[in-house]
Amino acid sequence: MKKSIIIIFTSLLVVFSVILMNGCYESKKVADKSGAQLWAENCNRCHNAPAPGEFNNANWDIVGTHMQVRANFTKTEVDKVITFLKSTNTN
Amino acid sequence: MKQKMFLLLCLFISGTVIAQSGQNKFTVLGDAEAKYTATKGESGFGEINFKPIFLWKISDKLFVESEIEIETGDGSVDVGLEYANMCYMVNPYLILHAGRFLPKFGAYRGRMGEAFINKFADDPAGFGDGGIGAMNETGVGALGGMPVGNMKLNYDFYISNGPQLLTDPENAGQFEYEAYTTNNKYSAVGGRIGILPFANSSLEIGYSFQNKSKTGDAETPYQNVGVNMEAVDLNYFHNIPAIASTIRVTGEFKYQKVDSATYYKDDQTPYSFKNVSTAYYASASIRPSLADSKILRNFELAGRYSFFNRPAEAPWGGSNVQQAEAAIDYWLHWNSVIKLCYFNQRGSNAAFSAQIVFGF
Repeated sequence: MKKSIIIIFTSLLVVFSVILMNGCYESKKVADKSGAQLWAENCNRCHNAPAPGEFNNANWDIVGTHMQVRANFTKTEVDKVITFLKSTNTN
Repeated sequence: MKQKMFLLLCLFISGTVIAQSGQNKFTVLGDAEAKYTATKGESGFGEINFKPIFLWKISDKLFVESEIEIETGDGSVDVGLEYANMCYMVNPYLILHAGRFLPKFGAYRGRMGEAFINKFADDPAGFGDGGIGAMNETGVGALGGMPVGNMKLNYDFYISNGPQLLTDPENAGQFEYEAYTTNNKYSAVGGRIGILPFANSSLEIGYSFQNKSKTGDAETPYQNVGVNMEAVDLNYFHNIPAIASTIRVTGEFKYQKVDSATYYKDDQTPYSFKNVSTAYYASASIRPSLADSKILRNFELAGRYSFFNRPAEAPWGGSNVQQAEAAIDYWLHWNSVIKLCYFNQRGSNAAFSAQIVFGF
């Protein structure tokens, strides 16, 4: 394996280990974000944000997990967004 | 082929029944696509694709996602397993996964290039079939996202079978990026780290890499040929109330370097070449998504420039590819769109292409 790749890979592992050990600090500004705000910000990162009525509540749980994998959402983000979508869902 | 189609139909129907019966652990998403292309002396419909995505949330810890692609771009029906990925949620910031998956090598393939996200009917030069960089991987990995103050980091690391070197006269020095099985006992290591520096997640910058020290078939002179790939990607979107619009800027640069090797032409003449390729694209779009008129806010205008630098001496190389493209899109739904594109490639005739995508 190339030396540069080993250096990069090791550096990334160290960074993530430190972050994980420190409990993933988030600022109050980020922690206070509502589900609606996170829905608008995170969905639109890649595509148009789907309206709450696009899926039923059970399917929102599944879609949320899919986005956790595909778009690297944190569990906290997913939970807040799904709670918001369910609370305004008419289906 | 009929058996495959029947199997898929059964899966689709059974899934729908399960989803409606209240078990609530399964759903089907995806899209259907159709394309029309017109260039000098040739026009017609083609590339009719159907891509269902099956999702199972087995428990809070276990999740399976799988996409089947049924495509017609090569002139016949081609059924492929895009991914079948089993995920285990370790904690809020870590997911372990195994199977066939879409590696996050750059942000275009597997994400920004999806038909219901891509503003254009085509891929940028070097980013579609015949391009460079990882596409589908079979192996294991770890991924997740985590807050860091006002910022956010996301990551994706994996060990996989990796690309396989092609050595036939037509494709010598290229790779099979979507193989289902391995060709030797060596693995690739890859990953991506993304940084979202703003608290509103409007900007993401990513760095990706993949390395495989031995890519050739086992017990052949090509086994020790290694490859190193790197990519940098950027995605920014912002609402501008003053012009009632949302703008988006995306771009990606990819680099691929292959160890030197001696290949053979049809007449068995040996030759070698410097096998280094790069590709990049830059794209911008504007959508009046904040306008009062519903019709107006469904329109989106986009422009894109892409460049694919290929090894001049390679049998599949030759001149570089430069493309410029403009598109007018009309959004029928959040994931359904009609795209009208004007496409110009240096040295070729200009082309018009249209694509309809219905997401479900």
